[in-house]
Amino acid sequence: GRQWQELPPGKRKKGERGSGFTSEQIEHLHRRFRQLSRDQLTIRKENFDSIPDLEFNPIRAKIVHAFFDKRNLRQESSGLADEINFEDFLTIMSYFRPIEMNMDEEQLDRFRKEKLKFLFHMYDSDHDGKITLQEYRNVVEELLSGNPHLEKESARSIADGAMMEAASICGPDQVYEGITFEDFLKMWQGIDIETKMHVRFLNMETIAHCY
Amino acid sequence: MEELGWLAARLSAAWLALVLALIVLPSALGVSLGISEAYMWVLVKTLEWATIRIEKGVKKPQPEVLKTPAANGIIERDETPMEKEIAGLHRMEFQFSDIFYFCRKGFEAIVEDEVTQRFSSEELVSWNLLTRTNVNFHYISLRLTVVWVIGVIVRYCFLLPLRFTLAAIGITSMIVGTTLVGQLPNSSVKNYLSEVVHLTCSRILVRALSGTIHYHNRENKPQKGGICVANHTSPIDAIILTNDGCYAMVGQVHGGLMGVIQRATVKACPHVWFERSEIKDRHLVTKRLREHVANKSKLPILIFPEGTCINNTSVMMFKKGSFEIGGTIYPVAIKYDPQFGDAFWNSSKYNIVSYLLRIMTSWAIVCNVWYMPPMVRKEGEDAVQFANRVRSAIAHQGGLAELPWDGGLKRAKVKDSFKEEQQKNYSKMLVRNGSIGSLPTGTESD
Repeated sequence: GRQWQELPPGKRKKGERGSGFTSEQIEHLHRRFRQLSRDQLTIRKENFDSIPDLEFNPIRAKIVHAFFDKRNLRQESSGLADEINFEDFLTIMSYFRPIEMNMDEEQLDRFRKEKLKFLFHMYDSDHDGKITLQEYRNVVEELLSGNPHLEKESARSIADGAMMEAASICGPDQVYEGITFEDFLKMWQGIDIETKMHVRFLNMETIAHCY
Repeated sequence: MEELGWLAARLSAAWLALVLALIVLPSALGVSLGISEAYMWVLVKTLEWATIRIEKGVKKPQPEVLKTPAANGIIERDETPMEKEIAGLHRMEFQFSDIFYFCRKGFEAIVEDEVTQRFSSEELVSWNLLTRTNVNFHYISLRLTVVWVIGVIVRYCFLLPLRFTLAAIGITSMIVGTTLVGQLPNSSVKNYLSEVVHLTCSRILVRALSGTIHYHNRENKPQKGGICVANHTSPIDAIILTNDGCYAMVGQVHGGLMGVIQRATVKACPHVWFERSEIKDRHLVTKRLREHVANKSKLPILIFPEGTCINNTSVMMFKKGSFEIGGTIYPVAIKYDPQFGDAFWNSSKYNIVSYLLRIMTSWAIVCNVWYMPPMVRKEGEDAVQFANRVRSAIAHQGGLAELPWDGGLKRAKVKDSFKEEQQKNYSKMLVRNGSIGSLPTGTESD
């Protein structure tokens, strides 16, 4: 049965402050959350199965996993949550906020770091704070999975190629032990990721939001 | 006390007589007294006024003209194809940033996906004074609230009983009429009478929903021995079409009231009702339909190939079964105007009774029906291609979006074959790009 109809204004305010979304965007995300959770208060991994567009995505599992990753939810350093509520949902969504015009240097830097941290967590599947060669290979394999024409060897060589590039930046020793977040940041210095990792909301000027 | 009862009886008799005289009789004869037109005019004027009031009431100044979000989307989708995006990248970025592309696509899908939004009701741009279409009901002005309250009273206390009465009359006369006609031996008289009964009852039922239907291109109306194909939004689609012509219905046998109606009507007119077990057997279904179509004197069959109710903003995949039967296909596009009432049946949210209640307490059902020129299967075209061709035509005519998705996705998941296609494309590209000089030669990145 229905648990709640609409977002209480207190929650909306909190969401606004914390996640940086506008009130309207939060309403939209809230409706989407309700749709996914089938009107329950929390979402579990299974709820993401109802999104047909997501099926196309080869790293679907990693994306869904990211929603339940406690490191992204700003809780304890590691582990997986079983279910998340709307606030958590907003927290994860805020990693994909686009840059705003009025951000200063410090904010931009923090913004960037957060997005890179999110990405880092996606690669670092055993939550030990380092991306090893094997972990990177896993990601590449997942990206290429399902194609019978591609042998494991090709996937392996692509993964190794990337690690060699990383080695040239961070130093070869790091690569063997595993890339830490600091090394990860170094690798991305000067490369623009902010415009690649965002979802932009259309300007919703509708008057009464009808449903 | 007795007098009160007697008074009540007199009143209800008078009421019934009024209904019969003003609504049932004209619809039986196919004439219109103009009452519905007057009602619609008043309704439109009121809603326009209400919209203006709401616009004035909103605090934030809106410099832009109100426009419907393109394709009902809320996020700006970056349509850059994968190849372009990845090809232009620095090699090092490429290795790690392929994950960006899929991450972003994944998030876009989670925020809003093209398919699922077709299974919820279309969003209205302005409010039509039905609370069910406004989740954030803000208090705007006293006058508006008063009008809304009057609206509620009119809808629930006047329109609902009226419509209910009409529906009851319509259904009863359908059952009684078709049973009587069914007693006659097969002859042209019987067919004629059966058509009369069906048409009359449909007209009454359409009045019961306060339906205003505009038919376009009636010269293309489906002929005998053909198959009529239409997009599906709600169970009342059938009534909308039978209001203007006679069709042989195709469907599953139900229990309850629906079953009674089905059994009664099949005596008068050769509708094709299948038992639940028979529906599973596709060959049996196709065979029976083929036999029906082959007989050129039989009424055209009415089929909804989407298989389920879609929310009338798009046309989903047509099941190919209907297109394997052969014969001439007469496509029909039905588009409801959501301003006056949402006709879409969200069967996962409402059962049929609450759906009918919602329909009967809406303002009206307004829709446009376009009859399109007949189509036949071309040489070398298979059923699927033919189905898609018909679907495009219907979508184009009705102004609906065309989606390649299966209506069955309302309940099921995407097939693996779709997923693999995408992954194949991606990995083909990756191998091509990745194998060009796999080792870096001192590329710096600051």
